[in-house]
Amino acid sequence: MPSELLIGLIFLPLLGACLTVLPWRWSTRLGVFAGLVSLPVLLVALTLAVIREGAWYYSLGGWTAPLGIRLFVDPLALLMLWMVAIIGGVAAAHAWHDFRPGTPEGARFWPLWLLLTAAMNALFLSADLFNLYVCLELVTLAAIPLIAMAGTATSIRAAMRYLLLALLASLVYLLGVALLYNATGTLDLYLMTQTLAASDGPATSLAFALIAVGLLLKGAVFPLHVWLPNAHASAPGPVSAVLSALVVKTAVYLVYRLWLWTLPAEDPMQGAVELFAVLGAAALIYGGILALLQERLKLVIAYSTVAQLGYLLLVLPLASVTAWQAASYQLLSHGLAKAAMFLAAANILHAVGSDRLADLERLDQRTPLSLFALALGGVSIMGLPPSGGFLAKWLLLEAAWQEGRWLLLFVLVLGSLLAAGYVFRILAAALRRADPTEAEDAEGTSPIGRRQAGYALLLALLALLAGFGAAPILEVIDAGAPAGWSAP
Amino acid sequence: MSATATIYLLTAAAVFGIGVYGLLQARQILRQLLAINLMGGAIFLLLITLGGGAEGPPDPVPQAMVLTGIVIAVSATAFALALLVKLQDATGSSDLDPPDAE
Amino acid sequence: MIALTIDAIIAIGIVWLALQTVRGANVFSAIIMFIVFGLIMSLAWARLHAPDLALAEAAIGAGITGALLLVTWRRVHVLEGRTPQVGMAARSLWLTLPTALAAALLIASLGWVALTLPAEPATAGELAWQRLPEMGVSNPVTGVLLGFRAYDTLLEMAVLLAAWLGARVVASELRPGALPGPAHEEVPLVGALLSLVVPISLLVAVYLLQAGGSAPGGAFQGGAVLAAGGVLLCLTGRLESADQTSLIERIVLILGLAVFSSVGLMMLPLGEPMLAMPGVWAIYLIETALLLSIALTLVLLFAAAPGLRRSS
Repeated sequence: MPSELLIGLIFLPLLGACLTVLPWRWSTRLGVFAGLVSLPVLLVALTLAVIREGAWYYSLGGWTAPLGIRLFVDPLALLMLWMVAIIGGVAAAHAWHDFRPGTPEGARFWPLWLLLTAAMNALFLSADLFNLYVCLELVTLAAIPLIAMAGTATSIRAAMRYLLLALLASLVYLLGVALLYNATGTLDLYLMTQTLAASDGPATSLAFALIAVGLLLKGAVFPLHVWLPNAHASAPGPVSAVLSALVVKTAVYLVYRLWLWTLPAEDPMQGAVELFAVLGAAALIYGGILALLQERLKLVIAYSTVAQLGYLLLVLPLASVTAWQAASYQLLSHGLAKAAMFLAAANILHAVGSDRLADLERLDQRTPLSLFALALGGVSIMGLPPSGGFLAKWLLLEAAWQEGRWLLLFVLVLGSLLAAGYVFRILAAALRRADPTEAEDAEGTSPIGRRQAGYALLLALLALLAGFGAAPILEVIDAGAPAGWSAP
Repeated sequence: MSATATIYLLTAAAVFGIGVYGLLQARQILRQLLAINLMGGAIFLLLITLGGGAEGPPDPVPQAMVLTGIVIAVSATAFALALLVKLQDATGSSDLDPPDAE
Repeated sequence: MIALTIDAIIAIGIVWLALQTVRGANVFSAIIMFIVFGLIMSLAWARLHAPDLALAEAAIGAGITGALLLVTWRRVHVLEGRTPQVGMAARSLWLTLPTALAAALLIASLGWVALTLPAEPATAGELAWQRLPEMGVSNPVTGVLLGFRAYDTLLEMAVLLAAWLGARVVASELRPGALPGPAHEEVPLVGALLSLVVPISLLVAVYLLQAGGSAPGGAFQGGAVLAAGGVLLCLTGRLESADQTSLIERIVLILGLAVFSSVGLMMLPLGEPMLAMPGVWAIYLIETALLLSIALTLVLLFAAAPGLRRSS
């Protein structure tokens, strides 16, 4: 029954969202539990099925492609689904305190959160270009109100800018899809490859160029990143975590799908991967420098996302098993570490009342657990051993070395130095002792503070553990390498 | 390619370009939303004309895509308009410029 | 030749109105131009043999979107009155020229590329026509929307729900009375007219719903027409904002998504695939649920209110 698992991953959060729209406290609780707690259980079964049977398709309504819409699950999709379940689940647990069912805030928060979860799961499973457009719009329209829930003028402005650019991005993407449908006769990502190999008109090239622009805008890839820092920094903590760890990754995921699966290897548009790599390198350096210059903790973390997304594009021209492992591990470890840092930052903001670096002092006394989570996340972002981030960056260095890409090696080292710079800057600010009076431990004394810090710590520890437990994960990931990347 | 199809394809291209121009050049958010809706309309026109609408009943798949697209467009516009009212209420300006204090 | 002239006139009208929308002297006239643009677009849909789209464009594209734009323009205007604002219409010439050049380049390349493509139904569309009889409806658009690509339609209902939920989040702190009521004394004829128009909109909605199987129409067009009736009732003060969303309203809001998903899931235990339609009755059941959800969501979005109640 593995295909029913796919249905469950999409429809349990979707129906859960319907339940949370109803006015009762029990319906909200039931909706959240059905939509979120069930996901890891389904995923365990799904992982076993993927290990046993490999990748497979599911035709919705029994209508086979090109007529109908197919779902597709493979190790890459599985990795993304796990991230939604774990990072989304822990962030939801963190959000439970601020958005309790039965309160007006909770009533507004949970339906959108569950719709966002369903939309991301649907997106990672969809094999249809137009269906992906609908998923992208659902992700956008569920995520942006969650930013605005912060209620501040900055967050409203950031939400508006994000919305306008996201709508532009999806329309540019849709225009590309319209051209592709007419040129190939299908909307299916994987059926399209055969037709694309036979056609060489300007239409498919323009279509892929448009789709690339749309996705780079949605993925906040330098220089189209302008909307990201304020949007991610001004949202409520759990929302920031999910935006940086998961939502921007949807666009990168689609770039991977289209360039590594859909587009035939000999297509001239494959040349775009070199451009992606250049943009990735620029993002890595620019984002790193900007992160160093920020005065607010959440903005440092948000600019770090701009930089870290660069790694995901740098990988594209390398085309080897090692590069594939590096990309997958960067997706995973950045997601875990970044979400941990945003949750920790939210706790610190709550305890200190400000996230200006100038106001953060003696955090080792005031919020020791959250500071620890922040530091552990930082270790993974910098790429220090033995974290998952270290493994991702090490694999990337190795892949660049194998291909003889010396310039890339230089950029990678520079990026890690910048990351070390901004992480140590945060830690230095947090450990300052400007005021000699003893501060109380705000977290250790309150059970709520301890629990909220625990969620951040959990994700940070998972990011660290990802470095230790790499062998079995990489074994599954290897099986899902795109064609042309798997040769030893 | 029939003359009718040519006319509507060029119209679609023109409206898309006008929409992009309007979006980049307009300052008020309401105008930017209008421009985004123009771009959507242009894509829909392109889909139906390319689906053979000039000669006879067009391809039903793009027709369904356009219907879905129209409902998504009105949903996105409605939310954007609600956000705009909130922006005006919270900041006293229905304008994104001058940029936020960053 | 006459047909071609008509097409040329429609095309010129569309481009001219698009330009006016972008360049209109003020925001209000730009909105009006956009609404007329939508109406001319629905003529284009009729010319392109797509009556389903002509109906949807007129009802949703021009009608509901236009009403939303105008009511928001007025709300922003009222709020601006509180804090006067001097806004320039456009950016400086330095930005305008490169933007215009880029747009022109885009138009040229898009136009050129589109002309290289075959303007005829593609593989998937041919298959949709061939296999339409298996669906039990004769309108191919309904067949695609609720059969072959039912999953898109289902997620689209989630998008509509998200839009309402999002609007609730951002509207939450607005003071009541944000809905502009009738500005002046009501003309006596309005009541008589309403008692005629509103039942007709209901009738048209029901007709469009049942016609959707074989003729142009369906839940979306019907829902928009019903919503238009609701918008009229709001505008004339027959319906007013409530502070809370009632239980019935909540159920209707999620009805489309819930019924669609449930019918889709129903077949799983029987060994059928997800979203396989058990029969024509299921299509009409789903369409009815969609129509109600669409209509209520659109009216609530227009009213920018948590709920509605009859005026006392």
